[in-house]
Amino acid sequence: MDTVTLTIDGRPITVQKGKTVLQAALEAGISVPYYCYHPGISIDGSCRVCVVKIEKMPKLQTSCSTTCTDGMVVMTRDPEVVEARAGVFEFLLVNHPLDCPVCDKGGECPLQDFSYTFGPAESRMDFPRRVFDGEGVKADVDFGPTLMLNRNRCILCTRCVRFMKEIDADAQINIVDRGYGSEIATFQEQGVHTLISGNLMDVCPVGAITTRDYRFKSRPWDNPGVVDTICTLCSKGCNTSAWLKAKPEWARGSRLIRMTPRFNPDVNNYWMCDIGRFDYHWVEGETRLRRPMMRRGTALEPAAWHDVEPRLRDRIQEVVTADPTAVRFLVSAHASNEELFVVKQLVEGLLGADGIKAVSMTWTRSEKPQPAGTKFKVPATDAPNVNGARDLGYDVGQGNDGLPDLTALRTAVEGGRVKAVYVIDPGPQGSIGDVSWLIEARRNGTLPLLIVQGVVTTPLTDAADFVLPGAAYVEKDALYTNDQGRVQAASSAIAPPGEALEDWQILVNVARALGLTLPYTSSSDVRRALAAAMPGGPYADADKIGFAQPLPASSWLQASNPSERWKWDFFFQDLPPVKGHSVQTEGSAQALFIPLKPVG
Amino acid sequence: MAYQRVLTQYINEPGSYTLDSYLKHQRGYEGLRKALTLKPGEIIDQVKASGLRGRGGAGFPTGMKWQFVLKDTPKPKYICCNADESEPGTFKDHVLMERNPHLLIEGCAIGCYAIGAKVAYIYIRGEFYHVQQILEAEIEKAYKAGYLGKNIFGSGFDCDVYVHRGAGAYEAGEETALIESLEGKRAQPRIKPPFPAVAGLYQCPTAVNNVETLCNVPLIIMNGPEWFSKLGPEKNGGPKLYCISGHVKKPGVYEAAMDTTLRELIYDERFAGGMMDERPMKAVIPGGSSVPLLLPDQLDIPASFDGVQKAGSLLGSAGLIVFNDSVCAVWLAMNLLHFYRHESCGKCTPCREGTDWLLKLLMRIERGEGQPKDLDLLFGVSNNIVGKTLCAFGDAAATPVLSTMKLFRDEYEAHIRAGACTLPAPWRAKHAMAGAH
Ligand SMILES: Cc1cc2nc3c(=O)[nH]c(=O)nc-3n(C[C@H](O)[C@H](O)[C@H](O)COP(=O)(O)O)c2cc1C
Ligand code: SF4
Ligand code: SF4
Ligand code: FES
Repeated sequence: MDTVTLTIDGRPITVQKGKTVLQAALEAGISVPYYCYHPGISIDGSCRVCVVKIEKMPKLQTSCSTTCTDGMVVMTRDPEVVEARAGVFEFLLVNHPLDCPVCDKGGECPLQDFSYTFGPAESRMDFPRRVFDGEGVKADVDFGPTLMLNRNRCILCTRCVRFMKEIDADAQINIVDRGYGSEIATFQEQGVHTLISGNLMDVCPVGAITTRDYRFKSRPWDNPGVVDTICTLCSKGCNTSAWLKAKPEWARGSRLIRMTPRFNPDVNNYWMCDIGRFDYHWVEGETRLRRPMMRRGTALEPAAWHDVEPRLRDRIQEVVTADPTAVRFLVSAHASNEELFVVKQLVEGLLGADGIKAVSMTWTRSEKPQPAGTKFKVPATDAPNVNGARDLGYDVGQGNDGLPDLTALRTAVEGGRVKAVYVIDPGPQGSIGDVSWLIEARRNGTLPLLIVQGVVTTPLTDAADFVLPGAAYVEKDALYTNDQGRVQAASSAIAPPGEALEDWQILVNVARALGLTLPYTSSSDVRRALAAAMPGGPYADADKIGFAQPLPASSWLQASNPSERWKWDFFFQDLPPVKGHSVQTEGSAQALFIPLKPVG
Repeated sequence: MAYQRVLTQYINEPGSYTLDSYLKHQRGYEGLRKALTLKPGEIIDQVKASGLRGRGGAGFPTGMKWQFVLKDTPKPKYICCNADESEPGTFKDHVLMERNPHLLIEGCAIGCYAIGAKVAYIYIRGEFYHVQQILEAEIEKAYKAGYLGKNIFGSGFDCDVYVHRGAGAYEAGEETALIESLEGKRAQPRIKPPFPAVAGLYQCPTAVNNVETLCNVPLIIMNGPEWFSKLGPEKNGGPKLYCISGHVKKPGVYEAAMDTTLRELIYDERFAGGMMDERPMKAVIPGGSSVPLLLPDQLDIPASFDGVQKAGSLLGSAGLIVFNDSVCAVWLAMNLLHFYRHESCGKCTPCREGTDWLLKLLMRIERGEGQPKDLDLLFGVSNNIVGKTLCAFGDAAATPVLSTMKLFRDEYEAHIRAGACTLPAPWRAKHAMAGAH
């Protein structure tokens, strides 16, 4: 690797050739503010807050647009820099509404944070502020189906403009008018329509772009926990963070408060799609299955696990004894590698060495309408683990490139040759595709026994004889193999609701009831066995993959953006963010607390 | 020896813009014919030897600019002629294009040949609609006569010249903003480096040259670099157009060598002919609105790039704006800031926010509602713009404030003390916001 060595604030720093001075400083933990710079999009050099002094250069330079060279001597704390930077901050705030107390970005806002650190103590501006669409809440205007826009807060960094142009590849946002009248706009105020719109809230360094999903729902200091996990809603496996809101046991409302992308250059970069970001409400929704259920007569009634298990054993054994080929499993590709591994052992124990033939894998596909040149393609397969199923020996046909073929199973069911179907589906509603034929077969008696292990109430669970409540993707530590063949860890952020259990556990319990001993008391036991069973491949270290614990959360920046990660260490140790560190007074003992002033 | 005009000698004759007139009076296209017998490098050498400095504002040596244009590249190269002429008080390119367009067309062709380009774009100011029509008609004639197009003079050299009319923005005259605008984007500057010579139009090597600059090129080729450099002081050679406006008797475009003094340009009968109504002169902005003011006792200097710079200002676009004693300095700064605030492209923070703030402060002082602290504030805000912006616009915008405050601080103070302008200024009273949009 080619490197260059430069000096920043007296410290020799060696970085990869081609890095900018800003990147070098951030990597070395030297805080330099920035707004228009974002590591995932092109350089603009327009906000001017990243100015530094560089020896032998006549003027201050923007560090984001200056490439490091050997021997370069950079100063970020020179009085000239400190003053110039404070001047730019003053400009950035002259028209900013400073409505932080009601702004969704408040507490995790780069404008707030950097201004405390680098800005002047007070503004000399005494003219009325620029107002675009109205004052206060009137400033919030529709910005497409998923977003809201507040132009008064916008600092015109154009990150959103460049995100749409470069990443989405459909330049829906631009600035209209010029100079002082510049404003963010979309064609005829149509708003932003894209599958990756939520990223705009992340790239926006202020509270100008907010998602309808998250706005007014929480404040950063009310989200004390964050879990690094992955999204399982398609085969891409974006690395994400699940945010947890603090709430007393008895309070209503959900704990999961938002999903944000987590940087992984090999998978999703800084981004995630709106499906993964916004479609998590079902996890804690009204339709969640919380208790096991069993059909008594015509009614499906709640029952205790210890009552369900023997009854289930009797019904299954009845079928197996009569005709082992009359038992079938329909398993969603939302099942994790652990779950699939246990299913395999279960069917082999129950039906013999090629028991796996009794299992049909299923998933759905939907082509996502996206611009041809998009840098963030959302795959068609709406399930996370088709490749895991393939690797574990299940028949997946064309895998992620095609749809599952259930015709043989359907024919057998409709022909009355199948006497029991066990469905395992930890995915959201609809994730195993059209099963109306299965429901119909159960309803008309062609199929005598239907067992559904799932997470949400669906027409299929309504038709079932047994309903076994499992855990959703944020409720268990589990491995999934994405469309690149990468084995990734989804970590448990919250516990399954009510009496629901992690799916591997349900399977082990069912196996035990059927007289099969699977020696697992935790999901890591399963991973250990999986690793031992599949040496030499991507699963060889399955037992060593780390899962995240809920961490004290400070800001999305820390979770998603390595370039901003230093803030984790510097800024957010005390929230709410009235405590600051001021470069203006660095080295002197005074003024580490920013006095709160009335907003006016 | 009386100066013999070369750029504008025939502009007042009827039909001066026609190809016939150009061929008849100005040895039209002989420069191009001669250039095509030379190697491109030799042309660049001649332009360098002539010492031609860019007439767009910065006075950068044109030969050097052409030499920087990347040579080893498979990409096409371009000449972009900067005809955006929007600097207040500047109207020379307009005259050249309207009255002597073939000189520019020939200059474009020679420039293309010199840097290895086949295409020149003339980016013309949006408001110059009728000039564009003249230019396009004359370009058409040049094609028909074989001075443009394929295989010019049988040399194998091809050259196309297109006119592109801008959407009307001062900032579109900044070279990288011009390129963006040509590409169909908003006229906002790019960060440099890379410079246009390396990655300009469509990311290809590009030379951006002012209209007057390119018009000098055929003259250099025809008459030799020596002739050019000897015309005027050292390093400031060649014919120069001055745009003189304001309170003078005969405002207009005047051609002279750069050894002419500012005093001559303002007072001499050959030029502006002295102050209107014989009122005393208060100040002159010598280079378009973006440069510091000079006082009446600073006029005995050559109106050259180096001469004006030595006096503490800049020759810029050579637009001399002359003020008599009726003009209030605060009003002047306010008027100009109205322009800059209106024209800021808004890309970078200090200029976008600062120009508006400055204007508001100036309007408050001018209204008589200023407070003593506003003077420090004006100074502080101006200095927070200078040197911190993406392009030179920021410095230009702060200059009227800083310069008037430096020279006429007493007038600012008087406004604040008296709550009104204390100048007996009949003209100003009649035109409260003259010139402002
Ligand atoms: C705000 C701004 C406006 C400008 N406007 C013009 C213009 O209207 N015409 C022009 O020739 N140069 C203008 N320039 C200068 C150009 O950026 C560039 O330096 C010039 O076109 C180079 O040509 P030259 O070397 O022939 O002077 C402007 C520069 C700035 C910063
Ligand atoms: S809306 Fe946000 S991201 Fe877009 S320009 Fe404004 S501040 Fe920047
Ligand atoms: S200095 Fe002004 S004109 Fe130049 S880029 Fe910045 S905002 Fe635009
Ligand atoms: S981050 Fe460098 S100019 Fe905006």
